[in-house]
Amino acid sequence: MIFRSSSLMVILCAIAASVAPCVADDAAPSFAPVGVDFLKKHCAKCHTDGKSEGSLTLDRYVDTQSLVKGRRIWMAILKRIETGDMPPEEEPQPTKDEVDAIGKLVRSIYEDADRKAKPDPGRVTLRRLNRTEYNNTIRDLIGVDFNPADDFPTDDIGYGFDNIGDVLSLPPVLMERYFVAAEGIANQAILPKLPDPPKRHMDGQYLEPAGKGVPTTKYRPISTKPDGEAIFTGPLHYEYKVPDDGEYIFRSKFYAEAAEGQAVRIAILAHGPGLAQGVTDDEANQLFGKAVPALRPFVILSTHEVQSRDKDKPDSIEVKVPPNLDLKRMAIALFKTPEDQPPVTLHVDYFHLEGPLDTRPKTHRALLACDASQPKEAQTREVLTRLMSRAFRRPAQPEEVERFAKRVEADMAAGLNWEGGIQRALIAVLVSPKFLFRMELDDRPEAAEPRPLDEFQLASRLSYFLWSTMPDAELTALATKGELTANIDAQVKRMLTDKRAESLVENFAMQWLELQRLKTIAPDPKMFPGFDDRLRRAMQRETEIFIGEIIREDRSILDFVDADFTYLNETLAQHYGIADTNGNWIGQPPHRDKGEPIPRRNFVRVSLDPSQRGGLLTQASILTVTSNPTRTSPVKRGRWVLEQILGDPPPPAPPDVPLLEEGDKAALTGSLRQRMEQHRSKAACANCHARMDPIGFVFENFDAIGRYRTKDGEFPIETAGELPDGSKFAGLVEFKQILRQRKPQISRCLIEKLLTFGLGRGLEYYDRPVVDRIAAKVTQGDDKFSTVIREIVRSEPFRLRRGLEQAQ
Amino acid sequence: MTARGNVSRRTMLRGLGTALALPWLESMGGLSAWADGAVAAKTAPNRMAILYVPNGVNMADWTPAAEGTDFTLPAILEPLAPVKDDLLVLTGLTADKARPHGDGGGDHARALSAFTTGAQARKTDGVDIRSGISVDQLAASRIGDQTRLPSLEIGGEGGPMAGNCDSGYSCVYSATMAWRSATQPLPKEFNPKIVFERMFGADGDKGRKQRDDLRKSILDFVRDDAASLTGKVSRNDQRKLDEYFSSIRDIEQRIERSQSLPPAKTPDYPMPAGIPDNFPDHLRLMCDMMVLAFQTDTTRVCTFVLTNEGSNRSYPNIGVAEGHHELSHHGNDEAKKSKIREINKFHMTQLAYILQKLKSIPEGEGNLLDHCMIAYGSGNSDGNAHNHDNLPILLAGHCGGTITPGRHVKYPNETPLANLWLSMLERMDVRVPFLGDSTGSLSNLHV
Repeated sequence: MIFRSSSLMVILCAIAASVAPCVADDAAPSFAPVGVDFLKKHCAKCHTDGKSEGSLTLDRYVDTQSLVKGRRIWMAILKRIETGDMPPEEEPQPTKDEVDAIGKLVRSIYEDADRKAKPDPGRVTLRRLNRTEYNNTIRDLIGVDFNPADDFPTDDIGYGFDNIGDVLSLPPVLMERYFVAAEGIANQAILPKLPDPPKRHMDGQYLEPAGKGVPTTKYRPISTKPDGEAIFTGPLHYEYKVPDDGEYIFRSKFYAEAAEGQAVRIAILAHGPGLAQGVTDDEANQLFGKAVPALRPFVILSTHEVQSRDKDKPDSIEVKVPPNLDLKRMAIALFKTPEDQPPVTLHVDYFHLEGPLDTRPKTHRALLACDASQPKEAQTREVLTRLMSRAFRRPAQPEEVERFAKRVEADMAAGLNWEGGIQRALIAVLVSPKFLFRMELDDRPEAAEPRPLDEFQLASRLSYFLWSTMPDAELTALATKGELTANIDAQVKRMLTDKRAESLVENFAMQWLELQRLKTIAPDPKMFPGFDDRLRRAMQRETEIFIGEIIREDRSILDFVDADFTYLNETLAQHYGIADTNGNWIGQPPHRDKGEPIPRRNFVRVSLDPSQRGGLLTQASILTVTSNPTRTSPVKRGRWVLEQILGDPPPPAPPDVPLLEEGDKAALTGSLRQRMEQHRSKAACANCHARMDPIGFVFENFDAIGRYRTKDGEFPIETAGELPDGSKFAGLVEFKQILRQRKPQISRCLIEKLLTFGLGRGLEYYDRPVVDRIAAKVTQGDDKFSTVIREIVRSEPFRLRRGLEQAQ
Repeated sequence: MTARGNVSRRTMLRGLGTALALPWLESMGGLSAWADGAVAAKTAPNRMAILYVPNGVNMADWTPAAEGTDFTLPAILEPLAPVKDDLLVLTGLTADKARPHGDGGGDHARALSAFTTGAQARKTDGVDIRSGISVDQLAASRIGDQTRLPSLEIGGEGGPMAGNCDSGYSCVYSATMAWRSATQPLPKEFNPKIVFERMFGADGDKGRKQRDDLRKSILDFVRDDAASLTGKVSRNDQRKLDEYFSSIRDIEQRIERSQSLPPAKTPDYPMPAGIPDNFPDHLRLMCDMMVLAFQTDTTRVCTFVLTNEGSNRSYPNIGVAEGHHELSHHGNDEAKKSKIREINKFHMTQLAYILQKLKSIPEGEGNLLDHCMIAYGSGNSDGNAHNHDNLPILLAGHCGGTITPGRHVKYPNETPLANLWLSMLERMDVRVPFLGDSTGSLSNLHV
């Protein structure tokens, strides 16, 4: 439910409420006689029993108590009266004073009721992980990006979001996909049968240095003859592309030619460009060969004295290559021959590199890590306890672990190895409701009194709210120590600056702004040949980065509607006609200092001329999704602003909208605006369109893909308008000023959307005091985005739970 | 994959790119038990499908002027010329529950949700979704145990992308027509790859039994393990858990069935790689999936929502740049009406393709279409007026000789559409006293 913006009075009362009640007199305001008289005078003609126009009967509302019970309907009634929807035009109209009086009275009745009601955190139904949450949770639980949920059916949506517990269903097809996904994940993450380490063999003639003159013989020679080219002096080396954290074995065969009794010494080198400490200059100087300097930095893994002088009985060596060398090349170098001795020659048969010796994937090692000194049964329980506690987002209970462990042992008894048994347990974990649902288990689930969530449940609410994924190690550690509640503000701050907070943009903001439609929207290619996937992506990216900055830099939420900056790449800058980072126009003399050029692909911050663009409402993404394929839709744009920004959606169109007859062509030519005004002249449409259309027309300077224009076809653009409350504006700049004045309404709208998303349920009337309180705090706190989040996280609905409906 | 007959896999693959020229499977030999002769002396069973198109049509371009056998196909029905003798045009059927009845706007949401249920959708975009059991699910609940999948729900568009879809109605109402119960809508699958995988498995016939056995043992284990949750969650939560348990029960039953039914045969049809970028190719693949499902007797019940109700998709492939929904409010503008007609005809070519495919597949003495009944239509009549009487409805196929096609049959206007569903259920050997607002079965489907 979306409630109307409250008066400043309400906010002040809410602030004061924590200190002392705002109204000293505790008697409830009385509906009679003012309210009852109003109904009799203005409504009874149509809305009495037996003559209930629009299925609405009003004679039951005779006193304060009846009004409190009929709250939902009354909020709607009040709205109709105050917007002038009711009574109908043809009936005698109430005076402004009468309307003000009934509005004030009804609100005071509800405010009084709210003030006296016990705080009610409401009830959240257990939430199935949606597709995004599933993907993110698997990423964090297993340690790799699998994105298995991309094949899942689309999630159900309620209250504008896809994470609403009551609405998310689990049909059999989805359960099948869960199985397929769990099997796929387990098969990739754990390998019961490890593959052999990869082997790389390279014959001598193919080793480097390469070039003309390398002999094609079985053995590749290098010698200490002075003044030889690198090809003939070495060191011989070869490049490998291997993971850095592995251990390897290097093998080679060789023999030497030297004078009788002369020793031939060689060194095995490992070259790693990222090596922190290679050999010293002195050490390097002992080695021979033109290629030595190019191989630095390197380490000497071992040195050998070559025994064999016979190509039929070469020496073979096997050298361990330790991990973390940033290994790029292996090499064999000759040591320099002492000056009094003749040169020697080394003949190398091949290089052979085997490894990494440990072929367990990272996921496998992480999931199965345990104290190897313990007996197998203990290892099983250690591994399962860790896996299940993380997957279920709470400490796994010993009896649960025991059940899973017994199953692993049964599988092992049936012939599976340990890894295979754990792999199956992982599948079972991933299809368990304890993983698939965010459970908030409770020994007294139906108890009516509000009580705090436990710390692990709170950690989950936080992480899925701000990150759309499971709690990380820090949150879990705090919950384990019972210190999360005490440190929650610091955690919120940390979480909002974490990279994972981007999910607030991708999930919350994209749904709030209804921007998922951008992916599929198809403007007419003939009219908008410039619209392609690159532009589509750029539009989306602009909005994402823009919102990301508001969150990261903790800016005012008013920046959403009116900002003097944005982020553009070349594609979008050209679309907007912007030449540089100072917002100068393409093809016009600069009106500001010349800025930097806008890079081709990367997005850069651009300061904007506020007379044209600034804030979400003028971003191409939003202008495009609120348009039709061939033209703008001021109605859609107006509705969008009312619903997504002001939280005051117009009611749906009446069922029997009179047709817009286009037969009389003469009457219906002109700009879109003129044609729509003719349409609006029909009484049935006028009221709502009076709210939507003026707002929509403010944006007529932007075409259906968000380009700036000064004419609609051959017709000039008119952007001036007037809202039903009488506020007038000449164009966008003045309209934004009006929006700024509606800050309380804008912040309430954002709070309501965020609270809905954070709780995973629709808002109810009993949430109203909470929204009021948060709105007051936000206004006090410089309208910062983080204040909204922090106050939501501190609020009762976020931190408390209850069972059955609270008694009124 | 085992090769059957003389069509090589390569031939098939070559055909995939050009969706129209797919060499079909008739030359590959039978794919179902009776077509193979494995089940002796058993006649082929009947199959039913319902195809849905949104936003109504311009009825002047739909309704044949003459009744009976001697009628000419109006513009929208022209693509059906090759199968004119295999179909009935049914005029006068009405989805009364798609009307507001005091609920205000939302004709699109109601049109689809009332179409197969004959029930009034509850106006909600949130927690308490309610319509009625749909005809396909009623059939599936009775005869679904005879096939590996009780029913198949497919479509050409995904679920809702955002928000409530139509005047305060949850998006689910305008996105699916399969309702397992009044409160349990089933999502449709629009990725042909996943439909194929559901029907035949990702890795063909081998390894299927082993995988099924493993799944079954894990299901047993997980169910036992989850029993400890009882008493620790509220009643609301328990309802969600029950959904979980009912879904795993469903999978178990499927596994059990697949072990008692004749072994599945994966057709020599290349597994689709995913959703083609091009919408006509996408729709064509979904049509193929439906035909494959019937041909292999994977299921006998299918619903196919070509595009969601209220869809505002544009059709650049036929030169229509405007959105379908936007155009459907044509205000009697001739240019718009002609574009809307092109969209309707494009949808109709999909039906024509399906019917010709079914007809080309031999089964028993005749062909597959002889044992099918394929309903096609919309829950909106004229998209401009949003009326729900005199709906555009076709019924194709012979259904084992119980339907006499090749006619235009007029019923008194306001005859419940659900009466047609009742008649179809009878032909599936499913007898129920009523469905939604039905008042009895339709006469005159067979003469």
